Amino acid sequence: MDIKQRITLLIALSVMAIFTIGGSSILLSKNNAAEVKKVTEDVLPSALSSADLVSQVKEMQLITMSMISTPDTNLANQAKDKLLISKKNLQDGVDFQFAHADGNTQHGLIVQTKENLAEYFSAIDETVNFKLSGQSDIADATYFGNVVVLQRELQQIVDTLRIEKSREKDLAIAELNNNLSATVTGVTLLSLAIIIGLGAFGLILYRQIIYPINRMQEATTEIASSQDFTHRVPVTRMDEIGKSIVAFNIMIEKIEENSILLKQKTKDIHTMLQNMPQGILTIAEGNKVHPEYSAYLETIFDTQEIAGQNFMDLVFANSDMGSDTLSQVEAVAAACISEDQMNFKFNSHLLADEIKKTMPDGHIKILDLSWSPILDENDHVIRLMLCIRDVTELRALAAEATKQKRELEIIGEILSVTQEKFHEFIISAFQFLDENEKLIRDNLHQNNEVLTQLFRNMHTIKGNSRTYGLNHLTNIVHEVEQEYVCLRECNQESVWNQDVLLGELHSVREVLEYYSNINEVSLGRKGPGRRGGIEHFLMVDKRQIMQTIHHLEKATYGNIHDLREAHGAVSKTLRLLGTERIIETLEGVFGSLPSLARELGKIPPIVDIQENGYVIHSQASSVLKNVFMHLIRNAMDHGLETPEERIAQNKPQAGLISLEMDVQDGMLQIKLSDDGRGLALNRIRKMAIDRMLVSHDDSLTDQQIANLIFLPGFTTASSVTEVSGRGVGMDAVKDFIYKEKGTIKIRFTDGNIGADFRQFEMVVCLPEMLAESIDGVHFHSAYQDKFDLAMVDFKSNEMTISKQA
Amino acid sequence: MAQILVVDDSSTVRDAVAEFLRKNNLDVVVAVDGKDGLSKLKNDSGIKLIVSDVNMPNMDGLTMVEKIRGELGNTSVNVIMLTTESSPSLKERGKAAGIKGWIVKPFKGDVVLESIKKLLV
Repeated sequence: MDIKQRITLLIALSVMAIFTIGGSSILLSKNNAAEVKKVTEDVLPSALSSADLVSQVKEMQLITMSMISTPDTNLANQAKDKLLISKKNLQDGVDFQFAHADGNTQHGLIVQTKENLAEYFSAIDETVNFKLSGQSDIADATYFGNVVVLQRELQQIVDTLRIEKSREKDLAIAELNNNLSATVTGVTLLSLAIIIGLGAFGLILYRQIIYPINRMQEATTEIASSQDFTHRVPVTRMDEIGKSIVAFNIMIEKIEENSILLKQKTKDIHTMLQNMPQGILTIAEGNKVHPEYSAYLETIFDTQEIAGQNFMDLVFANSDMGSDTLSQVEAVAAACISEDQMNFKFNSHLLADEIKKTMPDGHIKILDLSWSPILDENDHVIRLMLCIRDVTELRALAAEATKQKRELEIIGEILSVTQEKFHEFIISAFQFLDENEKLIRDNLHQNNEVLTQLFRNMHTIKGNSRTYGLNHLTNIVHEVEQEYVCLRECNQESVWNQDVLLGELHSVREVLEYYSNINEVSLGRKGPGRRGGIEHFLMVDKRQIMQTIHHLEKATYGNIHDLREAHGAVSKTLRLLGTERIIETLEGVFGSLPSLARELGKIPPIVDIQENGYVIHSQASSVLKNVFMHLIRNAMDHGLETPEERIAQNKPQAGLISLEMDVQDGMLQIKLSDDGRGLALNRIRKMAIDRMLVSHDDSLTDQQIANLIFLPGFTTASSVTEVSGRGVGMDAVKDFIYKEKGTIKIRFTDGNIGADFRQFEMVVCLPEMLAESIDGVHFHSAYQDKFDLAMVDFKSNEMTISKQA
Repeated sequence: MAQILVVDDSSTVRDAVAEFLRKNNLDVVVAVDGKDGLSKLKNDSGIKLIVSDVNMPNMDGLTMVEKIRGELGNTSVNVIMLTTESSPSLKERGKAAGIKGWIVKPFKGDVVLESIKKLLV
């Protein structure tokens, strides 16, 4: 039952109660009124008339007595008339009493009265008759003998009746009073009961309404103070208030959901601000930095004092911005904050977007600034948001990438020209520059003939440069050439100034030197090359250069990862320019092994090459060829045994020559070993004694004996063989290596100290700069495959290449 | 046609702004300082917008706007202030005087034009 129904019920019950009280009062009053009526109209008149009967009886007696006593007949007749009236009255009185007799006693008394009255009246009538007939004596006698006796009896009966009536009257009045008081009590009790009942009902209703409302109010207050939206108000009954509470709970649930969302969002933002590698701050009115800013800002500015600081000090102190620019930035901030957003639009172009800031430790950071307004609901700027990125590295990389791109383009340009032609071009260009320099120095003032000559020389360089597609060079030469044209033709604007002209010339020379340097150093094309010969200089695929340039162009200059990657790739490419694999360097040596083996009656050996990811600069190519030609031929001749000897020693027929490259302790280390008989220490010692290099008595370690082979003129071969004994001994090999600031030594690989033959490896060390690591270089697949090779198999005449597992 | 009052003591700025606005089909009235601007506004009911410098001799731009609002009781005319610097008190007064636009010098002509178009609507 809902509240409306309950209130309606309460009202209905109240109305019913009023009717009940009123109805019962009326009913009871009506009963009482009937009783009152009975008492007033019946009991009381009857009681009064019973008293009248007594007096009427007496009156009749008196009239009778007066009639008897009077001698006057007239008076007697008058008395007779009076008697008649009195008789009638008495008769009426008795009839009245009869009619109003109540109970047997009264009824009996009245019946008795009536009987007595009849006798009484006849006695009187007898007396009256006697009197009027003149028989006074008989009349007297009748009177005294009958009437008086009857009158006395009557008198007694009537008196008894009167007493009876009076008693009845008292009883009736007492009963009436009792009834009235009972009515009052009844109505009062009924009213009280109804009031209590309705009150209780009302109270219950009141509690049912007020309690839940109070609970809701308490919950609201608690939620408001604690912000605990998990609170719910219990629903006890589904009336209007119950429904309101359900709605209230749903609302709180919604608020809770939103609050959770809001908390999550706030947390997200907080996490972002804590972890994003970018500085973010907002500027409030008064140019103060809002306390919520990204944690990275502290890294950028190298301080924790950020919140509440003036952003001008925080961001722009020790920056490259002039004071006027700074005052503009400050004015713009003031013109925007708490103003309409249009002001931001109008003025934001004056906000600095990149600054160079000197940090307390002296190093300079390049900061990228981007500004945006934070608006309120009226589109007014409440705060300015400033995103700060440290682009120092990005800018450096971008600059580096630009430089690299230029270098690569220039390499591409150079590679398009043959070594010989390029060499000729460079020589002639330098000559023209020298000539121009002399012309400028020799002439203090403008001379048009000289200008023409200057122009012609520069024009020639430009023509050649353009022909060979050397675009970077062409551009700068063109600029200088145009300066000459300007001097000659529009002399008002330009004047002959030796310093300026020499400066211009110098800039051309610098670019030319740059080209020349790349050609000679990076590309290893020093000199004119071999005319008509195979130009064996291009160590890096030109396609790769083009790919690298493409890679660089594709890189987004705003993206540090792109730039880093491009930078890395380009660096590698540039470093790998003019390098080659040792397989390529020693191709000729390895290629000659099969025929050499045949000459020596041996089977071509297997050559195992471990490059370990290193390639060598072509400038080391010559020394490596010379050194390893000798060392490998030595291994073939003196080290590896004939097939018969090998089989006897349970070795494979074909010998194994191993070459391993590595970089250790800042040196490129190339180790060469073979599985042959080893170093003939005893024989070396004997030969050294024969050649008086050491004496018989010298006590030498194995290492000392081994080192004897590096002495000039030492040779162990019994005769100068076709193969290794060509007059170039190990001393020459050592010299080659020393010239390159390298070392060579023999390292024993077995523990057989003092044995005639000991296993060993030749360790050649060269400066690290002669090697280059190819790790992480992204070659296109064909190239990659080539570099995966490590095993070159010389079993047959054909050089077969197999991939290392 | 709505007129625009350009107030600046620098003839260079004043002429450049006025010329630029005229080129863009706007009706321009010029004044050399705040006092001049005030009297021009008194005599010309067609002025709907004021572009004014802040620092000027005789009467500065802000005082002029305050007098326009106070003495002349003109609260409808919109104002764009051209400024080089800003201070809290300047901003406070500007706000009280109902200045809607602030353009920091140096500015581009089209910025002024755009702001005028925005405030003339």
